Amino acid sequence: MTHRNYCMPKAARLALVAVSLAGVFRATPARAADSPRAVVERMTNAALEVLGDKSLGVDEKRHRLEEIVYREVDFDTMSRLVLGRNWSRFTPEQQTEFVKLFKEHLSVTYGNNIENYKNERVEVVGDREEGRGDWTVQTKIVRGGGSNDIQVDYRLRKQGDTWKMIDIVIERVSLVANFRAQFQDILGNGKPEKLLQILREKNARHEPLKTTDDKK
Amino acid sequence: MRRTILASTCLAAALWSGTVSRLAQAEPPEETATTKSQSEHDPIEGVNRKIFWFNDRVDVYVLEPVATGWAFVSPKRVRTSVSNFFANLRFPIVAVNDLLQGKVVDSASDVGRFAVNTTVGVLGFFDPATRFGLEKHVEDFGQTLGVWGVPPGPYLVLPIFGPSNPRDVVGLGVDYALSVTPFFVDQYILIGVRAIDAVNERSLILEEVKDAKEAAIDYYTFVRDAYFQRREALIHDGETNAELEDELYHPELGGEGAVP
Repeated sequence: MTHRNYCMPKAARLALVAVSLAGVFRATPARAADSPRAVVERMTNAALEVLGDKSLGVDEKRHRLEEIVYREVDFDTMSRLVLGRNWSRFTPEQQTEFVKLFKEHLSVTYGNNIENYKNERVEVVGDREEGRGDWTVQTKIVRGGGSNDIQVDYRLRKQGDTWKMIDIVIERVSLVANFRAQFQDILGNGKPEKLLQILREKNARHEPLKTTDDKK
Repeated sequence: MRRTILASTCLAAALWSGTVSRLAQAEPPEETATTKSQSEHDPIEGVNRKIFWFNDRVDVYVLEPVATGWAFVSPKRVRTSVSNFFANLRFPIVAVNDLLQGKVVDSASDVGRFAVNTTVGVLGFFDPATRFGLEKHVEDFGQTLGVWGVPPGPYLVLPIFGPSNPRDVVGLGVDYALSVTPFFVDQYILIGVRAIDAVNERSLILEEVKDAKEAAIDYYTFVRDAYFQRREALIHDGETNAELEDELYHPELGGEGAVP
């Protein structure tokens, strides 16, 4: 395993978030008393059910998964974290647009992966409390056939009574940190509008599902 | 191939790290731009991007097509077995670096893995050891240096080898000396064997790389950051750093990433 890290960054597997992000949330609303672990467990099972349901078409699957994800992930907080201290350089309108575009970008890129689902299973392997009240739930995607398992950790933060996802860490690479690095690079040499424009163009090259676009 | 590239990059990196750190000291530390944390680690981004681009062309025009062909003619199980075989040969690297980092139990476990997989696992083509509870570890000398407190130095993109830094370049050199194959196999055969290894590994992540390129806003920065994060995590074996955590998850508290 050692050398291959240098040639082919394992992090390329970030892409595998596909299965995980798209595949981990459930349509039923979280009950107030649910622990972060229970939330992740319940959502995971349901999402795998959708992915494995042969009676559903790809669009229908994506639609369902997207709805689930939009309900369970706190995209406002995630966006704020992704922009870090750059957040305050955005006007309120730009902030709103950024949240929308970022959400759309994740949906488009990870939604493309639904067809790649090959009966992977997800196991919750542990959880731990992080500093300042956040909670991390550790899972692994079991691929079978001799392939290595993939570590996927979810970071949750309590919003009122419910736990919401604020980051996903695949093979120890944080999605929030990774996007922050990419956006920092762009914002270091440009204004917020430049980043928004890049995201708009990137999203326009695909066709995000219109149906769930307007939902929060 | 590997040997020559290694020798020259080792040397270059050694010289580089010295020069670059002096340069960095000469420059005013004040930087008001928002790019601070990352670009600080990538002082030769211009050159790195060019090499990254070159590597990507090699991948797109050579490695990926060959790997796709290989994936087409051979079932995943075969390719996974080939991957297991090469991973098994690298056991001395893992076991020795375990020891150098004081992980005696892990080291013993990795020796056990080698024994089990070489015998029961038919020369390493299968991995029964994992099922027996001897889990695979990812260790290399670059990590060992990190554990010893050696800083990584500036980010480097090596031709063919990809993302690295002076610390990991030294690691590559030491690990090469630790690997089994060079002492048993003729140089030319070795190049062929390495090529097979690379093609086979690439064939196992065809989809993932495609998706990563799709998901990235800037693929270069995506890979650079993923490399930073992954290496740091491997060195600290999952231990969290409270300061970095706050910077990432609580920018409002006024750390590095804070809102001014």
